[in-house]
Amino acid sequence: MNRSFFQQKRDRNETAARALLFMSALVCCLLVVLILGFMVVTGLPLFGQNQAMDLLTGAWSPHNGGYGIAPMIFGTLWISFLSVVISFPMSLGCAAYICVLGPHGKATVMKRCVQMMTGIPTIIYGFVGVFLLVPLIRNTAGTGSGMCILSASLVLAVLIAPTMILFFIQSFDRVPRSWLDAVDALGGSRVQKLVYVVLPACVKGIVTGTVLSFGRALGDTLVALMIAGNAIQKPDSLLDSARTLTAHIALVSAADFESMEFKSIFLCGAVLYLITALVILGARLIERRGTHE
Amino acid sequence: MTPPKIKIESLDFYYNTHQILSNINETIPENAITSIIGPSGAGKSTFLSLFNRLWETTPGARVEGRIQARFSDSFMDINDPKLSVIQLRRAVGMVFQMPNPLPMSIFNNVAFPLKLAGITEKETVQNRVTTAIKACGLWPEVKDRLDKKATTLSGGQQQRLCMARALVMEPEILLLDEPTSSLDPRSGAMIEELMVQLKPRCTLIMVSHQPDQVERIADQVIDFTPGSESCR
Repeated sequence: MNRSFFQQKRDRNETAARALLFMSALVCCLLVVLILGFMVVTGLPLFGQNQAMDLLTGAWSPHNGGYGIAPMIFGTLWISFLSVVISFPMSLGCAAYICVLGPHGKATVMKRCVQMMTGIPTIIYGFVGVFLLVPLIRNTAGTGSGMCILSASLVLAVLIAPTMILFFIQSFDRVPRSWLDAVDALGGSRVQKLVYVVLPACVKGIVTGTVLSFGRALGDTLVALMIAGNAIQKPDSLLDSARTLTAHIALVSAADFESMEFKSIFLCGAVLYLITALVILGARLIERRGTHE
Repeated sequence: MTPPKIKIESLDFYYNTHQILSNINETIPENAITSIIGPSGAGKSTFLSLFNRLWETTPGARVEGRIQARFSDSFMDINDPKLSVIQLRRAVGMVFQMPNPLPMSIFNNVAFPLKLAGITEKETVQNRVTTAIKACGLWPEVKDRLDKKATTLSGGQQQRLCMARALVMEPEILLLDEPTSSLDPRSGAMIEELMVQLKPRCTLIMVSHQPDQVERIADQVIDFTPGSESCR
């Protein structure tokens, strides 16, 4: 008997595929939650011996039983914030040139370059930083090893720039064509188009991109590990050496598995996780409100 | 017929290697409505974009031949690289098929070209904006809500606002790309009436798909239909 054309066809393959894809999605989501849980649970023994606040705000002195991660939190925030401050004007200018100011051909080539930058391994940036930037900073500053917050932030700024630029470009490209035509037809220059129409329309996209790049800077390990000097101290100046949470985890994880130092890195992980999650959630909230009218 | 405002001589237009317009020779009379008709894809909008060089924003576009327009009693080549495209666009206004108000208030939309031109004197701006809005018959409808977003207006009102915005610079030439095609008949009629009123101070060039509209208001017709008399 012929199956009716409109009869719903129960396809076993379809059901199986759905189940499989659902499982993949579920695993991904669960992993996010499980990893946070894992870090909190493994970090718990620390709370037994010390006060929680001591861990977050105290100094790091394992010999005296002090496992405070405050220096690393400061180091992370300093380096990430500074890298965003350095990268922002560069990225905004670059995106503006590519989307609004530059001639089409040149802009296309530049956009390809930026896209390529995202694919360069982090270690290359670190490597170039160590051999080119660190000596330069050392000689210019006249003191220290050159391995400092400033050096790390400069390299990190280059590392996060493509993220920021591509996000800005995406935001600029969403400005309705009719608005741009209107400005062109009214005798507006490219700069006027940028200042009066594109930037005001993209404020929220710009904020979101910047915040997301801050998240990217927070999570980067290698650049700070190679260039920031890794001294465990609360930094006072840009030329001070500092250690980030990520670098701390990388360095300590080489230590004895049973030591308290080792257990403390789970707290570092949890703190880093939370800061990054908050930043990304914040960015998404801004983005959701920031659609064009 | 009024004296010529624009003279087009052996004009070709290309997108990359694709030829859109070939060997066009036309004269556009001053203080009249010239209507461009023809099927979709015949290059009508492209033809319109020649007069304010808006085609330059499209990558790969290229023009050959001469277009001369008469500004202050002497003809000049529109495509002369020495001619500032920004100055040209301030003298040649344009109204698009879809109303395209900018994301700002009604007042600021009309004041925007003045801002672009660096005219900031408050009283001048106020007067010119008011005059332009009145000229488009929009004043009674918007005078109490000039600070409201332009997007709160109806489609027909938005289109008249766009006309006011184009007119605030007192252009000598006004280009209109199917200005009534997205509007209801009543709004369309208002735009048509406005165009006729503008003739004494403006040269109007309009792309139209509506034969009855062309019949009603056009003083000259350029037909882009393949095989027609004035088709190139």
